[in-house]
Amino acid sequence: MKRKRSPLLNRFKYIKPIERYANDHSEMTYGDRDWENVYRRRWQHDKVVRSTHGVNCTGSCSWNIFVKDGIVTWEGQQIDYPSTGPDMPDFEPRGCPRGASFSWYIYSPLRVKYPYVRGVLMDMWREALKEHKNPLDAWKSIVENPEKAKQYKQARGKGGFVRVSWDEALTLVATSLLYTVIKYGPDRNVGFSPIPAMSMVSHAAGSRFMQLIGGPMLSFYDWYADLPPASPQIWGDQTDVPESSDWYNSGYIITWGSNVPLTRTPDAHFLAEARYRGAKVVSVSPDYAESTKFADDWLSVKQGTDGALAMAMGHVILKEYYVDQQIPYFQQYAKTYTDFPFVVTLKKDGDKWVAGRFLQAKDLGRNVTNAEWKPIVYDDSTNSFVIPNGTIGSRWDGQGKWNLHMVDEETEQPIEPRLSFLGIENELITIHIPYFSDEGSKTIERVVPAKKVQTADGETYVTTVYDLVLANYGIDRGIGGNVARTYDDLVPFTPAWQEAITGVKRELVIKIAREFAQNAIDTNGRSMIIVGAGINHWFNSDTIYRAVLNLVLFVGAQGVNGGGWAHYVGQEKLRPAEGWQIIMTARDWTAPPKLQNGTSFFYFATDQWRYEETPVDELVSPLVKKARYSHYADYNVLAARLGWLPSYPTFNKNGIDLYKEAIANGATTPEQIGNYVAEQLKTKQLQFAIEDPDNEVNFPRNLIVWRANLISSSGKGHEYFLKHLLGTTHGLLNDDKDSLRPQEIKWRDKAPEGKLDLLVNLDFRMAGTALYSDVVLPAATWYEKHDLSSTDMHPFIHPFNPAISAPWEARSDWDIFKSLAKAVSDVAKQIGMKPVKEVVATPLMHDTAQELAQPFGKVLDWSKGECEPIPGKTMPNIHVVERDYTLIYEKMIALGPNVAKQPMGIKGIAWSAKDEYEKLKKTLGTIKGASVAAGCPDISAAKNVAEAILTLSSTTNGKVAVKAWEALEKKTDLSLADLAKEREEECFTFEQITAQPKTVITSPAFSGSEKGGRRYSPFTTNVERLIPWRTLTGRQSFYLDHELMHEFGEAMATFKPMLQHRPFSKKRPDAKGKEIILNYLTPHNKWSIHSMYFDALPMLTLFRGGPTVWINKDDAEEAGIRDNDWIECFNRNGVVVARAVVSHRLPRGMAFMHHAQDRHINVPGTKLTNNRGGTHNSPTRIHVKPTHMIGGYAQLSYGFNYYGPTGNQRDLYVIIRKLEEVDWLED
Amino acid sequence: MLKQFLWVILPYISLTIFIGGHIWRYQYDQFGWTSKSSEVLEKKQLRLGSLLFHWGILFVFIGHVMGILIPEPVYQTLGISEETYHLIALVGGIPAGLLAFIGLIILIRRRITVKRVRATSSRSDWVALFFLAVVILTGLSSTLLNIDSNGFDYRTTIGPWFRSVLTFRPNPAYMEQVPIWFQIHVIAAFGIFAVWPFTRLVHVFSFPLRYLRRSYVVYRKRMPKQAEQPHQIH
Repeated sequence: MKRKRSPLLNRFKYIKPIERYANDHSEMTYGDRDWENVYRRRWQHDKVVRSTHGVNCTGSCSWNIFVKDGIVTWEGQQIDYPSTGPDMPDFEPRGCPRGASFSWYIYSPLRVKYPYVRGVLMDMWREALKEHKNPLDAWKSIVENPEKAKQYKQARGKGGFVRVSWDEALTLVATSLLYTVIKYGPDRNVGFSPIPAMSMVSHAAGSRFMQLIGGPMLSFYDWYADLPPASPQIWGDQTDVPESSDWYNSGYIITWGSNVPLTRTPDAHFLAEARYRGAKVVSVSPDYAESTKFADDWLSVKQGTDGALAMAMGHVILKEYYVDQQIPYFQQYAKTYTDFPFVVTLKKDGDKWVAGRFLQAKDLGRNVTNAEWKPIVYDDSTNSFVIPNGTIGSRWDGQGKWNLHMVDEETEQPIEPRLSFLGIENELITIHIPYFSDEGSKTIERVVPAKKVQTADGETYVTTVYDLVLANYGIDRGIGGNVARTYDDLVPFTPAWQEAITGVKRELVIKIAREFAQNAIDTNGRSMIIVGAGINHWFNSDTIYRAVLNLVLFVGAQGVNGGGWAHYVGQEKLRPAEGWQIIMTARDWTAPPKLQNGTSFFYFATDQWRYEETPVDELVSPLVKKARYSHYADYNVLAARLGWLPSYPTFNKNGIDLYKEAIANGATTPEQIGNYVAEQLKTKQLQFAIEDPDNEVNFPRNLIVWRANLISSSGKGHEYFLKHLLGTTHGLLNDDKDSLRPQEIKWRDKAPEGKLDLLVNLDFRMAGTALYSDVVLPAATWYEKHDLSSTDMHPFIHPFNPAISAPWEARSDWDIFKSLAKAVSDVAKQIGMKPVKEVVATPLMHDTAQELAQPFGKVLDWSKGECEPIPGKTMPNIHVVERDYTLIYEKMIALGPNVAKQPMGIKGIAWSAKDEYEKLKKTLGTIKGASVAAGCPDISAAKNVAEAILTLSSTTNGKVAVKAWEALEKKTDLSLADLAKEREEECFTFEQITAQPKTVITSPAFSGSEKGGRRYSPFTTNVERLIPWRTLTGRQSFYLDHELMHEFGEAMATFKPMLQHRPFSKKRPDAKGKEIILNYLTPHNKWSIHSMYFDALPMLTLFRGGPTVWINKDDAEEAGIRDNDWIECFNRNGVVVARAVVSHRLPRGMAFMHHAQDRHINVPGTKLTNNRGGTHNSPTRIHVKPTHMIGGYAQLSYGFNYYGPTGNQRDLYVIIRKLEEVDWLED
Repeated sequence: MLKQFLWVILPYISLTIFIGGHIWRYQYDQFGWTSKSSEVLEKKQLRLGSLLFHWGILFVFIGHVMGILIPEPVYQTLGISEETYHLIALVGGIPAGLLAFIGLIILIRRRITVKRVRATSSRSDWVALFFLAVVILTGLSSTLLNIDSNGFDYRTTIGPWFRSVLTFRPNPAYMEQVPIWFQIHVIAAFGIFAVWPFTRLVHVFSFPLRYLRRSYVVYRKRMPKQAEQPHQIH
């Protein structure tokens, strides 16, 4: 090494003569240049590690992490993604400036470095431990003492954290968990962690722990309102979308409510490249979004009215390409892959004819298995009603013939399904179709051709879904009815009709619809619609989506590369699904897992249900005189009761006590115990907890949150969270004095405050949730742990690797839950806890035979005496589960024997994982010594967990993929295994994906194919290989015949206006000066890493350094607001304070507050609450939609993150005015 | 004995620390060699206080050079009378001293009352401020108390003594008749010399005089050693 020169001696170089040039204009110096090394060293490194960001931005970009002297210095994009093949642009490089700024965070002042507990709680706990020998007694002396409990709960969100040791913090949490298990029941301990795909091992860590201790995990996809319920409704699939490179295969792309460059930054280049290839791009967006700059045409639609626009486009396509002319490609597609030819009954309701339900084999007296579940088509070749192959009844009838071959199931003869009865009708019948608008709902009379059939219940009229859909869209077929003669008729759903609603010119709508269809004709379906959060976060997002998705079905674009829908809202595609599921549900040790739908949980836990004002009656179909219930929460009680939705906490009794009680009453087998529970429920001796959510025995008690920012980022109804769940200072301007009262729920005049005993947060940032938590545990960042990442946007799986070991006292999520498991086991041993048995209820699950539980979509409520309560049929399943709390740790760190013993599977197919289990024993090593887990594969390290996931999953292990395809072959009588055969020998290892990301193997876990380097597009295996969709008809659905869908007038796609929630319904804070009322929207931020890390300095420097709300310049002028003024936005739900960004980019009538602008950055106080302005979620609350709660009925059955009410929050208005005085509340 | 210490030993200790300290600091604390500007934390008060103080102290320094370093006979040779000198000293010195003093008061007040500046102040900042305050206060008061031209003449006492120290012929006898205010001023001054290298005051020596005569374009040469290394040619 060069000896460092003395800086002082260097100074004396002055004495040397200075060389000057160019008439003394320049000179040469010999001064010290060592200081330059500071800058040079900034980019030096001695180690490069592959990792990524676990951030739900859907990017899942692989990064190089550069480390010097044990410090992460910077990160750079990886450029080694496997090629997309010749004639295609590649994926590399991926990454955006947000990701590139992350290394700042590791050493930022926001980093949580040590375990923290709020001082007031810690003092009480230490004091109590001195007084009580048994830790449970110590905990009891605090939480059961109202004064003490109030004291520490009220301190939430107000600082006062003290640093504690890991042991002390973990013992506190473990004690509270066990106290709750024994006193209230294991299902009062709840876990929340979203988006497993963004770091699946970390998610599985806590989930596994929760399942081992019997605590429910909350779903997130629906809670985030990222789930499009239209997807399960139409396809029976949660969400399956093309990878971004498939955009390049498209000929026509509409970006509809999706701002690709801003929210899918690393993928946006494919949109530009698709244009170079010749694709036309159309933007549907109210504002001049970044995606609009890609567009050849811009449809500036009024926000929330996209459904009307889509219906009008559908009108044009049906009229011109189905009725005026028939396109062979469309006809063939509609007959084979959609429910268009299926037959629907018409029923007489008083003197009106209305559409009913699918005609089933049972109605025709056919003697087949599952006859109630085999809908009928009309065969043109035999002129008779036949059961086609592929219905849901055949999926579960054990015949192994579940496929889309166009044959009669009974005779196996080819059939020619007929789309319309027009021409062979017995009668033309005028039916009444529900119609909704801002002016109220009404019915429209339309005519359908009907055939008469003889059924078990007598003679009835039937028509086809196709005929109904044409009637619904108002297409003139020359058979009368209130239909449109021209596009200029103001009749639903013409282009002229939509103009008044959406503000989009009719000529433009007609043009785009024609182009979209014509492109599909020219390219055999390569027309694509990229949809996103802009149209998905509404109360009626499912009707909007159905109207939009109908377009891709009409033109045969779904299941075609370069065509179909492309919904990118959340990083939901977890590729190695089966292996991850085993670990996260702890099914290797115990089953069933408790998986709760998040929205329902938070709706009740935060008491938002107490503040409902618009009766359901105002939203239902005009064909229904009155809604089944006026209150939304009543529907949720119904859903819990009938086994539609999960409902944890389940009963108003501890499941452990309930088991003892059943035994004491003579029940022994699980079946008898189930019957005992049913009997108790029927006689009202036992209640669902949801029937009395404000009773303290039904409160959730401990909530553990990790990888999420619930309190401030995703907690819609923020102030309700603060008031009721946490019991601390809040800014709620609402009261429940004259809100709607439910029928099925006990109303308690005094609403509880502070339901939670402990809020525990694992995080590396001291942000919203951590600040409100009682216990904060320091988590490792993405550059400090082993994990796996995958996404919908690309087909690769790639790892997280620790670039540095977790600094300070931070630990990885896996290690934290391991130590928490140890702490629980230790406390359990200390108090001498014996193994317990617990009664567990689970809903009727999709992709199991239970989706055939409640036929004909008819709602039969046993509590009203309409049927008997039968577990697993008319009510939830009842199971008995044994738990030994002293063995939680042993089970946590070992992959249990059930992996080999029980069938493994996904989506209703199963195979044996025995070979893989034996292999894992060898590759991971086994647990030694005397333990319940002795001889099991060792998964005590996160890296081993990742290996286990890779080995057990069909997308990452070729042998498993072939097994899975063979299992599906048995069910479908199709030849499918070739899809994976070419990669059978591959089994991904962690080392391999660390060397280079790998493209997943084609598997029946998903519906597209990667065979031969093909780009992933969903449902291509359904279309090409004739695998049925997992729906009632086995086809893509235009028609949903469940009773509740009819109740809400949504049997078919339609337009529904947004909810009219004025800012205040009664008393409001006094008006002061000018103000304006705007629709309040919370889209994604450009200057933060997805929904997190707005507080990162590199991001804050990019735009105004604090919270902002965007408004139109004319709206601003009307309210006397100038750019950068401080403003307050408020309604009954709360207040948020921010600076105004005044822009002509936004249309009038709406305000954008970008999502997750952290409240701990630059938020002054407001006089409205005498507190600091809230979060972006303060003026919001959720609105649950009863149709999302349907269950036990084919594709409308529950699945975790698959179905359930969404936590939507867009149908809201705020008052905006200038902030009178900017008070920073600093004195 | 005390006199020996105050006027012989102390000055040498102090000057040794002053010179040695600067060499040490420059050698080993290149990054710390700074004025530690707090302008980013507070601007308004700083602009006023800093300008007053710095211009004031600059003229005060010139005054000290004139009064202490330059022997009286030089002035006589130049034909500047006792009265003229005093007039110049007072007319120039008192406003300069007042400017520096007012500036310092503003800066002290700023350092105490502005939260962010206070929070980022180190102990050395307080020490430097304390000595500056004492030195300026005693200097200013001595001058004001000595307005009478028949009063005490530092040019025949403090001046020769200081020069005797600098020329290594220390003679404490010069200091015997010096009034107490001047004595405190001198001792405090040596105090500030002793802490100088360890505070932000080092920035005095980084005054960018070079700018006055450098060329517009400056090329930095590679270190000769690096230049000798064989260059790899690609």
